[in-house]
Amino acid sequence: MANITVFLCRCFGEIDNAIDFDLLRKELSKDTSVSSVSIVDSLCLEADIEKAASQIKETKADRVLIAACPTLSRGNLPVDGLIKEGIERHKIDLVDIREGCAWIHGNDPEGAVKKAKDLINMGLAALQHKEASKDMRVSVHPDALIIGAGPAGLAAATSLAKTGFKVNILERASAPGGMLRLISQLYPTGEDAADKLNPYIDEVENNHLITFYPQSKISSIEGCIGNFTVQFSSQGEDNSIQSGIIIIATGAKIFFPTGLYRYGEIRNVITQMEIERQFLKGSFDAKKPVFIQCAGARDKERPYCSTICCPASLKNAMRLAGENPGSEVFILHRGIMTPGNVLEKYYRDALSMGIQFICFEEEKPPMIMGNDRVEHVEVYDAVNGITRKIETDLVVLSTPLVPNDDSVRLAQMLGIEVDRYGFFSESYPMHPLETKMDGVFICGSARWPVASDQAILQGRAAAMKAVSYLRQREIAASTLSRVPGPKSGHARVVPDSCTGCGNCVAACPFEACHLEKLEDRHISKVDMMRCKACGNCVSVCPNGSMQIPEHNYRMVGEMIKRAF
Amino acid sequence: MNQPRILIFACKWCGLIGADAAGKKRASLPARFRVIPVECAALVEPDAILRALAGGIDGVAVLGCHSGGCRYNNANHASIKRFELLKDLLDTTGIGGERLLLSFGTAHEYHQFEEIIENFFNELAALPPLDPWLSPFGVVS
Ligand code: SF4
Ligand code: SF4
Ligand code: SF4
Repeated sequence: MANITVFLCRCFGEIDNAIDFDLLRKELSKDTSVSSVSIVDSLCLEADIEKAASQIKETKADRVLIAACPTLSRGNLPVDGLIKEGIERHKIDLVDIREGCAWIHGNDPEGAVKKAKDLINMGLAALQHKEASKDMRVSVHPDALIIGAGPAGLAAATSLAKTGFKVNILERASAPGGMLRLISQLYPTGEDAADKLNPYIDEVENNHLITFYPQSKISSIEGCIGNFTVQFSSQGEDNSIQSGIIIIATGAKIFFPTGLYRYGEIRNVITQMEIERQFLKGSFDAKKPVFIQCAGARDKERPYCSTICCPASLKNAMRLAGENPGSEVFILHRGIMTPGNVLEKYYRDALSMGIQFICFEEEKPPMIMGNDRVEHVEVYDAVNGITRKIETDLVVLSTPLVPNDDSVRLAQMLGIEVDRYGFFSESYPMHPLETKMDGVFICGSARWPVASDQAILQGRAAAMKAVSYLRQREIAASTLSRVPGPKSGHARVVPDSCTGCGNCVAACPFEACHLEKLEDRHISKVDMMRCKACGNCVSVCPNGSMQIPEHNYRMVGEMIKRAF
Repeated sequence: MNQPRILIFACKWCGLIGADAAGKKRASLPARFRVIPVECAALVEPDAILRALAGGIDGVAVLGCHSGGCRYNNANHASIKRFELLKDLLDTTGIGGERLLLSFGTAHEYHQFEEIIENFFNELAALPPLDPWLSPFGVVS
């Protein structure tokens, strides 16, 4: 028989007029599971909690029910306080009789006291059936793994190395740098991309904490936070490394607009990347360049804005105008995207340099005229309502960033998700750069198209998030919570009744269930490091074989029975 | 008039916040509803809803986060589908799908919570009581 101590909190008399506490105490004292009932003025002050704790110890109560205000007010204080005093979490229950009862039923005192009694009764039922989940700890391998050596990956690697952790970088290309190697200058500063990149490359080459694996290809990733094992080949040689966390910084690739605006068919219709390549070689000679924005972006297939191509066009347009005096530069766009004070000023700089902007509509894209070379572009100017014919010697298409081909494969290996375009998804809504797998972080354009300064920022941020795990020697599964406070528990399988139907495996949003082969059958197994106690597996199990001990079906059933 | 009894499963991150805010606003609500807080709407077993109705509770409400706003990686999305199926089941058995109220992301503010409770209360009050329907089958304890 349970031996429950009940505390009824009057909230300094605040709720006395709605709830008759003496009546409540009288009723509760009849319950055989209750060993004592105390009416207290408050429970949220330090002295109250100490007093309650010593009273619990004296009466040797094994469970505690607190009827007070809810967690969202101050009800969490006595609960947390008692936990600090050494009482286990599942042995305490908090029942909200203020917001959930006294304050909303003030004009029905009879109904209010009945409800308070029922709520407390439900709490008593919960306390008698609540169990504690098991926990587990894993030791943390102190090395970090970074996939991708573009600006995001390099920033993450150097930040981690600065904090003293060993870093392995896997890169598919032969040298670090990513997309920064392909462009000449950065917007809006005009800084040489190489100047930005070189300090990072020096660090990668010279810091003994960083190991760089060029031309690498990942074949498998196993394990979970604290201990991932990655099989890969680098320059044709098979290899395997362990790591405590993984940072994905694989970037994105440029969309090739084959078939759009006669690209590929006609000379001097080129992409932004090609003009960058020319700039890397030296200057570029074009007297009447026309830039066309959103080539392959913000359309049916890719309705997103790639965010970097408008500022990139501004940069290259201004550069062409500056290097070729007397030239006429046009940017045909569908709304220039330059958010923030810095980029907006950049746009205004372009305007004052005499660059001409013409806004067109998605339904009426510009037409490329000419036989084997573009001679002029015809565009319907949506603002002025006229069709304009622009003579030109070069058309530059601004194409969006699209996900890398292998992003889905990598996501599957890691058990994380990609969005509907194929970029890696982070754990919505409150965990930027984190994925649904603890210890797997995403940054840079692998997550969403960003410019190099943002990629670097995100790389550093991901590194700092990673450090918070790497610096721990051990991680307890119960701390890997996605909500404030520790996890509410872990799902637990009843092996005898589990038929191995696999419903839970399909339903788990955290890939925490899998089937395990026994001699004669399969049963489900829950990986506590991954389980977040969402309860989906519990709800889909046809045999009641999956339970969360803190919220088991016996407890809920009893609570329902006692609800009225 | 029939005085319905309502059981509410409220997700801690949405419906419970609405309930809490209604309390802080001193909303005046009928005292015949009880709230069981849950971590996520996904934790509400369809079975528990059936048990509540079989036990003579007139209506059950599940209040969760909006689709896409779940703290548990869209765990609530699967539960929305389950509960819609359960509504069908309640309809075909004659209990009536209207006795299960689903709210995903629409009970987060105090006035929304108030409105939901009041409307549900009135709707259930207009229905014939559930007990006489169930007791011949021996399900009402
Ligand atoms: S940033 Fe790119 S996708 Fe966005 S509006 Fe500009 S050109 Fe189009
Ligand atoms: S409780 Fe949720 S996260 Fe845990 S195993 Fe079940 S479905 Fe997966
Ligand atoms: S749903 Fe239940 S019976 Fe099926 S595999 Fe999972 S635990 Fe076993």
